[in-house]
Amino acid sequence: MASQSDRALVERMTAGDDRALAELYDRHASTLYALAVAIARERADAEEIVADALGQAWRTAAQFDPGRGSVAAWLATITRTRALDLVRARGRRALALERAAGQSSEGLAAPLAAAGEAPDRGVERLEARQLVGRSLAELPEPQRRVIELAYFGGLTQTEIAAELQEPLGTVKTRMRAGMEKLRGSLAQLLSREGP
Amino acid sequence: MTDHQGYRELAAPFALDALTVAERAAFEAHLAECAICRADVQAFREVAGALAYAAPAAALPAELRDRVLREARHVRPLAGRRTVGPWLAAAAALVLAVAAGYGYWWERAARDELSAALVAMRARLDSADRLVGAILDSTVGTADLAATGKAPTMRLYWNRARGLVVVAAFDLPPAPAGRTYQLWAIKKGQAPVSVGTFNTLPGGRAVITLQMPAGFKPDLSAVTEEPAGGSAQPTQQPFLVGAWQGG
Ligand SMILES: [Zn+2]
Repeated sequence: MASQSDRALVERMTAGDDRALAELYDRHASTLYALAVAIARERADAEEIVADALGQAWRTAAQFDPGRGSVAAWLATITRTRALDLVRARGRRALALERAAGQSSEGLAAPLAAAGEAPDRGVERLEARQLVGRSLAELPEPQRRVIELAYFGGLTQTEIAAELQEPLGTVKTRMRAGMEKLRGSLAQLLSREGP
Repeated sequence: MTDHQGYRELAAPFALDALTVAERAAFEAHLAECAICRADVQAFREVAGALAYAAPAAALPAELRDRVLREARHVRPLAGRRTVGPWLAAAAALVLAVAAGYGYWWERAARDELSAALVAMRARLDSADRLVGAILDSTVGTADLAATGKAPTMRLYWNRARGLVVVAAFDLPPAPAGRTYQLWAIKKGQAPVSVGTFNTLPGGRAVITLQMPAGFKPDLSAVTEEPAGGSAQPTQQPFLVGAWQGG
């Protein structure tokens, strides 16, 4: 059977087809799980986060709006939000935040490279990992750090400024510049995943 | 119209969820009328989504797949397309902006729902005038309604001067066929007084305006499920309850 698009799978989920959910799991769960671990640190928590996030995707599949972005981005958003909520509910700081606060200049990209390539089900996902990892690593370190603190640490710009003891205006400029660069370097990946 | 120059810097942090609640509400109002920022947000959202791939690889536990599928078999997906009418989207955006002023009470998921509705609505705010007036008034009292031990799923705004109650519901599945939800105002030691009946959309949301009985000053509000048309008095224990505050 020819492989269906992510959107077609989500469409089938709205009709209650759990094989579509299984396929979506096989495509995206390893990325979502890695994201949950990066934020919540504990593996048991990360399992809970991914199970809850995919449960939410299952229940609300009818509300998925392709006009707002890809299925992968939708799933990542749900997972990240749940992970940050769980970390906050426990009164903890995100793992990535701890790391970023204590790090020298290596950022999250360093553990990514050190971890090597875990078994990953798809060549495309492997390529995406490599491309995103490389694109982040190529950013100037101050730009990369503010983006990582926002995405993996769940901090607002104001909180990042306090964390780094930098002026808010500096943080804003770095975030915008870094995101613009990523937009360029990831263009190929994003257009492929787009609707 | 809001000024694009003053807002364009916010598209990237908005997509990264790195704005304060107040900044976010202001930017969402701008988004409703600025196609440039909407395009920026969409592009930056994809970039943010791709950042998930930068998380250090972690071996997926083998049993997680079965767990996800097992849990899914116990729950049916919510029915229905995203059919938010413009008035509802506008009201949702207003509720969001007001909620920002009252503090950080929406679940993040709820905020995402609302911002999606906002982006969908474009700039058609006209029919929401009554809601604007009802909610954006310094004398408005509020009540957060929740099931015992759960996060609130409904917020009420009571404009005493006009006797209006705006009901903003989130994550409340529509009442079954032949049934309706009924909102009650309760003064301690007295029988509940009906404020009106309502239902939610298939996605579980609703923003509805009801009329508070004139001269009545309740301590609490509660929601029950009743036969269509409503009941004179509650026929069941309320499943959502909250106390009135402020105003
Ligand atoms: Zn703009």
